[in-house]
Amino acid sequence: MGYTFHFRDVFAAQDALLSGLALTLQLTATTIVAGFVLGLGVAAAAVYGPRWARRAAHAYVEIIRNTPLLVQLFVVFFGLPSIGIKLDVIPVATIGLAINLGAYASEIIRAGIESIPKSQVEAAVALGLTGRQVFRHIILVPALKNVYPSLTSQFILLMLATSVASQIAAPELFYAGSIIQSRTYRDFEVYTVIAVAYLVLALLLRVVFALCYRLLVRRR
Amino acid sequence: MALVELRSVVKRFGDHVVLNNVDLSVQKGEIIAIIGRSGSGKSTLLRCINGLEPVQSGEVLVDGVAVHDPKADLRKLRARVGFVFQSFNLFPHLTVERNITLAPTIVKGLERDKAAVLAREALKRVGLEEKLHAYADQLSGGQQQRVAIARSLAMSPTIMLFDEITSALDPELVGEVLRVLENMAREGMTMLLVTHEMNFARRVANRVLFMNQGTIWEQGPAAEFFQSPKTDELRNFLGSVLN
Amino acid sequence: MIRELSWVDPLYLIFALRWTVAITLLALAGGASLGLVVAACGSSGNAASRLAARGYVGLVQGIPLLAWLFLFFFGFPIFGIDVPGWLAATVAFSVYSAGFLGEIWRGALLSIPKTQWEASASMGLSYLEQLRYVIIPQAVRIATPPTVGFIVQLIKNTSLASVIGFVELTREGQMTAAATLAPLPVYLMVGALYFALCYPLTTYSRFLERRLRGAR
Repeated sequence: MGYTFHFRDVFAAQDALLSGLALTLQLTATTIVAGFVLGLGVAAAAVYGPRWARRAAHAYVEIIRNTPLLVQLFVVFFGLPSIGIKLDVIPVATIGLAINLGAYASEIIRAGIESIPKSQVEAAVALGLTGRQVFRHIILVPALKNVYPSLTSQFILLMLATSVASQIAAPELFYAGSIIQSRTYRDFEVYTVIAVAYLVLALLLRVVFALCYRLLVRRR
Repeated sequence: MALVELRSVVKRFGDHVVLNNVDLSVQKGEIIAIIGRSGSGKSTLLRCINGLEPVQSGEVLVDGVAVHDPKADLRKLRARVGFVFQSFNLFPHLTVERNITLAPTIVKGLERDKAAVLAREALKRVGLEEKLHAYADQLSGGQQQRVAIARSLAMSPTIMLFDEITSALDPELVGEVLRVLENMAREGMTMLLVTHEMNFARRVANRVLFMNQGTIWEQGPAAEFFQSPKTDELRNFLGSVLN
Repeated sequence: MIRELSWVDPLYLIFALRWTVAITLLALAGGASLGLVVAACGSSGNAASRLAARGYVGLVQGIPLLAWLFLFFFGFPIFGIDVPGWLAATVAFSVYSAGFLGEIWRGALLSIPKTQWEASASMGLSYLEQLRYVIIPQAVRIATPPTVGFIVQLIKNTSLASVIGFVELTREGQMTAAATLAPLPVYLMVGALYFALCYPLTTYSRFLERRLRGAR
């Protein structure tokens, strides 16, 4: 084969890798929060809003779901300055990722809301609760509990998708990999280490979400 | 003044007329049983009284509130009109206690500890105090229905509406629910029940209504109603259900 | 050399679409073949096969597609296999797709109730005949909506081939944006073209799903 693997060079650059990893985690966390809030709002608009809001929500979801994340990031990256918003690359990446996640999250949450039987709503209305009270006490929490698995799967997909932000020079884990690669020419070793890092992260996230489920969602 | 007053009420689902010029007057303390075939409009009649179904024409006046007015604020009324459903509709993610205290705390603004006392008393009235911290799926059908009744009672309603509340129960669980209803009747609650339990209706109700083709076909005091039906349709109906 | 954005540019973008479609079809062919194997192993009676399939799916779904692209792009030459860039990319996409299609198809197979097997066995059909006449036709109907949905994902994923230099729609857009210094209108056009390709498929997938739910 005539090739020796030189993982040592990769591990020598561990500072760069770790700082990239830290940004990946930060991007993931902030995007999950922002994307969830956005998704909740859009889902509520899609179910309860006036017709123009329902149409806007539907259009937003369809546009995001039928275009690649890479192109969305480019549009946000070049689009924000053109309307006068000058931001650093990390906030730009977060915004682009959150807009993307928000669309998928809203579809999942909307399915959850619509899965609550009408009889539950009727009983609450018959007791005198307002629409908002019904949503807050009877619909929201059961709906989120129902879709928790789908939602957290989507969050893990998001974590993996943060790698695409490397293409707008966000210095997350994948970007760190390409920097190390250009410096050491250990292309294959670098990306093997990066791939394993993502795999471990994905498994860790899955464990964390499963734990949260047991603590928060299952009551007995 | 009648507690519930329906005048020339017409209700349509699309082209289908479900309530065809219904007039009804209910006095305070009356216990009225409503019987009839499925599709005769009896559940719809009940649901129009607390505004779960809108009416196309006519007037529905409940405790002074014009329910038929689209601009009416029905929330305040619904706090005074209790409604118990055939499928109980307990909130599965809340404990029994929270099911019962939800409306008093949110709609009436009662403090949590006062509401908790209310919940315990309501559960006592239906004989289920020990189930305060249980969840709906831990209870039998009969117990769930009694909790549903307690949930409505906790709002101190002036009138209670029951929509076939024993129809979804296994036969051996029906008795415990009917006993609760009998106690409430004895305490003087105004009650309207859509029911198939003819013996219960005969024993407990003051007045019985027979719904047919969207109108009140025949009505009368309970004893006379069951003993000497005046119309053929009622006679046929009683003949088929009482065997 | 900087030039003005002109009416020719959208045309170049549209022409670049054919490469997007080409990679998608190639990746689909590779991914579907491998995916069938993964699905079959995942639903077999053999515990080792099932474990292998689950391991494959877990591995593929736990690593970003960009990483897979780079691993194959840089990996092939290291192992002495000299392949053109587009072939490395296609292999990466196929391996990735198999990890998702295999899961979708395994789920579809598993959702056929055991009673279907029992009924067809009682009619005297062999294992292969059961598969061919009773099980697979039903599984195909169930699997089609999510498979069409995945094809949409694949089309979007081909945009990442631009990162290793492959000239499909996104790369064409990048080059046009660099040449005209008008990135926003260019990328909006690129997005619109992807939308035009994907939206009909998404709608079709939803239509299939509704029809399936109605029939059951």
